[in-house]
Amino acid sequence: MSALGHYLEEEGIATVAISLIRPQTEKTKPPRALWVPFELGRPFGPPSDPAFQKRVIRAALRLLERETGPVVIDDFLDDDPRAKPDPAWRPPLLSGAAVSRSAESLAARLEAEIVQLQAAHRLWVAQRGGTTVGLSGLAIGECAGYVGDWVRGNAPPSPREGFSAPLTLRFAVDDVKAYCLKAAAAGAAKPSSRQLGDWLWNKSAAGAAIHALREALQTSEDERLRLIAGNFMVPAARVRAG
Amino acid sequence: MTRLTDLPPAQAKRLAELECPEFTTRPWVSGPPLSRRRVAIVSSAGLVVRGETPFRGRDADYRAIPAATKPDELLISHISVNFDRTGFQEDWNVVFPLDRLCELAAEGVIGKVAPIHYSFMGATDPVQMEPYARALAELLKQDSVDAVLLPPV
Repeated sequence: MSALGHYLEEEGIATVAISLIRPQTEKTKPPRALWVPFELGRPFGPPSDPAFQKRVIRAALRLLERETGPVVIDDFLDDDPRAKPDPAWRPPLLSGAAVSRSAESLAARLEAEIVQLQAAHRLWVAQRGGTTVGLSGLAIGECAGYVGDWVRGNAPPSPREGFSAPLTLRFAVDDVKAYCLKAAAAGAAKPSSRQLGDWLWNKSAAGAAIHALREALQTSEDERLRLIAGNFMVPAARVRAG
Repeated sequence: MTRLTDLPPAQAKRLAELECPEFTTRPWVSGPPLSRRRVAIVSSAGLVVRGETPFRGRDADYRAIPAATKPDELLISHISVNFDRTGFQEDWNVVFPLDRLCELAAEGVIGKVAPIHYSFMGATDPVQMEPYARALAELLKQDSVDAVLLPPV
């Protein structure tokens, strides 16, 4: 964001960047930036906390009224209150515990899990409104089927015109993860991202299937598939050892 | 959460040592009081309105997000999987604070909210974004935008 600020400011438009990685901002030296101590992915802090978010935005926008600069890098020091785990949260109750790590079993469990999570996902939509699933352009059942097909060792063609199979796979995996995480977050509790991530990557059938797919595609002859599977499916901090 | 010290050491080191552009000029544009400014969001979260073409890898261009866009119409197509998406899923203002800007405009803190906002894909080399950013500046000027909020993800 710091570089974009530099370019826009050179063209005559005042900017203020939010900084999540202070060392990067210190290197690029944008005209104005507000460093925030929040998790990557949350530049304005806690979800569903308009007052807190507005404090961050006001702190950033106020830098536009500074008379001395460049360079201005200020710090917003309050932590995200939603980063703490919620002890009241319970992961989704799913039937069909893992009995086999065969590709067929992993794929079938993934597809079944998506069906089992439908009610929780509907609750989430009722509570929050709308859905942010949809990058692949496929319905969620089709997404699970498409990812499941890859998990089974097939290489199905892309069902979406204009998207290569590896790109559709990446987006379908994104959609499956988003669907599961929203279903897991449905209800009154306010789980932290770490709680949700622990469930997805360590307990859910979707996580197990995506882990296995990532590992299987590491030996693909298709360089793009290896790249996507290796880097853009499982967060680096969640990659299984070995 | 999350200062660099909260991240896995390898990720923190990579982020801290990431090569970043270093500029020789120091542009600085002043303007009217905040209460008279028109503010736009230019995100680098790889945001795309549902139905538009998602960012495919490290595309260097941008996507437009009209102010009339609804929360369930906005998707993240950023290539990185190393950041939280659950906050955005619950409340788009975590990444794209359009509701908050509208409230600040209603309160008189800022002048107006721009009619169109934009997103780049932040994992792209900033040098490749430069021509698109400079072209975007002209569109922002056409909308009388004189303040841009730049959130990463």
